[in-house]
Amino acid sequence: MSLATIFEKYPNRQYIMFGGKGGLGKTTFSAATAYYLAKKGKRVLVFSVDPQASLSDIFERDIFGKGNIEIIPNLYACEVDADKRIRDYQEEIRQKIISMYGMEKIPEEIESYIRASSAEPAMEESAIFDAVVDIVVKGDFDYYIYDLVPLGHALYYLSMASIYDAWLEKITGLREQMREYDRAIATMQREDVSEEDEIYKELMYIKNRIGASSKIMTDTEKTAFFFVLTPEEMIIADTEKAAGLFAKYDVPLAGYVVNRVISRGLLDEKIPEYLRNRIEMQAHALDVINEKFGSLVLARVPEFDSEIKGLDTIKKLAEVMFEETLS
Amino acid sequence: MAKKKNEKKKKSGGIVGFLRDFTYGMATHGMARHALKTRSSMEHLFILITMGDMLGIPILPPYYSLRLLPHVVPQITTWKRRMLREKDFVESMY
Repeated sequence: MSLATIFEKYPNRQYIMFGGKGGLGKTTFSAATAYYLAKKGKRVLVFSVDPQASLSDIFERDIFGKGNIEIIPNLYACEVDADKRIRDYQEEIRQKIISMYGMEKIPEEIESYIRASSAEPAMEESAIFDAVVDIVVKGDFDYYIYDLVPLGHALYYLSMASIYDAWLEKITGLREQMREYDRAIATMQREDVSEEDEIYKELMYIKNRIGASSKIMTDTEKTAFFFVLTPEEMIIADTEKAAGLFAKYDVPLAGYVVNRVISRGLLDEKIPEYLRNRIEMQAHALDVINEKFGSLVLARVPEFDSEIKGLDTIKKLAEVMFEETLS
Repeated sequence: MAKKKNEKKKKSGGIVGFLRDFTYGMATHGMARHALKTRSSMEHLFILITMGDMLGIPILPPYYSLRLLPHVVPQITTWKRRMLREKDFVESMY
C-alpha cells in the first residue's frame, strides 16, 4: 500500500502524526503531507508545540506564537509558544483569585506556589497537550497534522494521562463524599444545601481535558500515526522499540515511512568508495526493514540533493511521497 | 441568600421554634459538630492531595492543580498550619 491510498481509504483519520527520532524528517514529512492534502482541496492545519519548532524554517516564514498562518490556500501552519501559554495561564489564575476574593494582591505563599509551578517537570507537557486540545476541538480543519516533539514526550504524556485519570477518579470520589457531608450537615442544621461545588466542576473539566488530549493520540477511528525512519540498523531497532511502547498505549499505527534512501542507480556510475559502502549498508538495512515491517512500509523517500526548505522543495518531496504530480 | 435564611429563622420563633431549636441542640448538635470536623479534615486531605507540593509532596500535575488553586485559597493557611503542626499528619486524615 502507498501513503496516498491510506489517505483515500481512511478519510476519517483526520489527526495525522509523524513520529520518530529527532532529525529523521518528521517536520519535512508533516509539511509535505500538509502540502499534498491542501493541493487536494482539503483544509489542513499543520502545527507544532516544540519550543525549537522548525515549521517556521521549513516554510521560511516566522510563525512562532502567531496563531494559524495561511501558507498557501487551504494550508495553515501554527507554532504554539508553550512558555507564553504557561505564563498567560498563570496570569489567568492570578486574576481569578484576585477577582474571587477582592484581593489587592496575591498572598505571598500563593504567589510563590504559582511561580514555582512553571518549574515542575510535567508542566510543559501538560500545557502542550492542553494547547493541542484547544486547537483540535475548534474543528475548523479537515486535517490536523501534528508535528510531534520527539517520541519521549508523547509517551511520557500518555503514561501520565492514564495515571491522572486514576488519580482524578479518586479525588472526585473524595469530593463527592465531602458533598455528602455538606448535605448531612445542612439537614442537621436545617439549612439549605450550600451552593454548587465549584471544585467538583473543575475536576470534571480537568478529567475531560485529559481524556480529550489522550484520545487525540489513541483514537483508532480518527488518528493515523506514522513512524519515520532511515535505513540504518540502530534507527530500525529504536523504531521497533518505540512502536512496541506506542502499541502499549493503544496509539494506532498507520505505517512506516523510510527517509533518506540513496538511489541504487548510483552504483552503476563511478562513485567514491564511501558512497558505495553507504549504499550497500542501506541495502542491507532496507532488507531488514522489509522483513520486519513488510507491507506497513508505505513509502521510501530518496535522499534529496538539497535541504527541504521552502515551498518548491516541499512540493517536490510531496510528489515523491505520494507518487503524484501536483499542480 | 443570607436574608432569606434570617426570615426563615424568624418565622420559626415562638415556643414551637424554641422547642425545635432545643431538641436540635440536644439531639443533633453534637453530631453536626462531629460531621463538620470530619468535613474539614476531608477538606484538608483534599488540599493535601491536590496542592501537596506546597509542603514538598508533589502529587498532582501542576498544570491542572492550578485550576483548583483559586477555590482553596482561603483554606490554605489553616491547612498548612494544621499539616505542619500534626505530629503525624497521616493520622490527621482520619
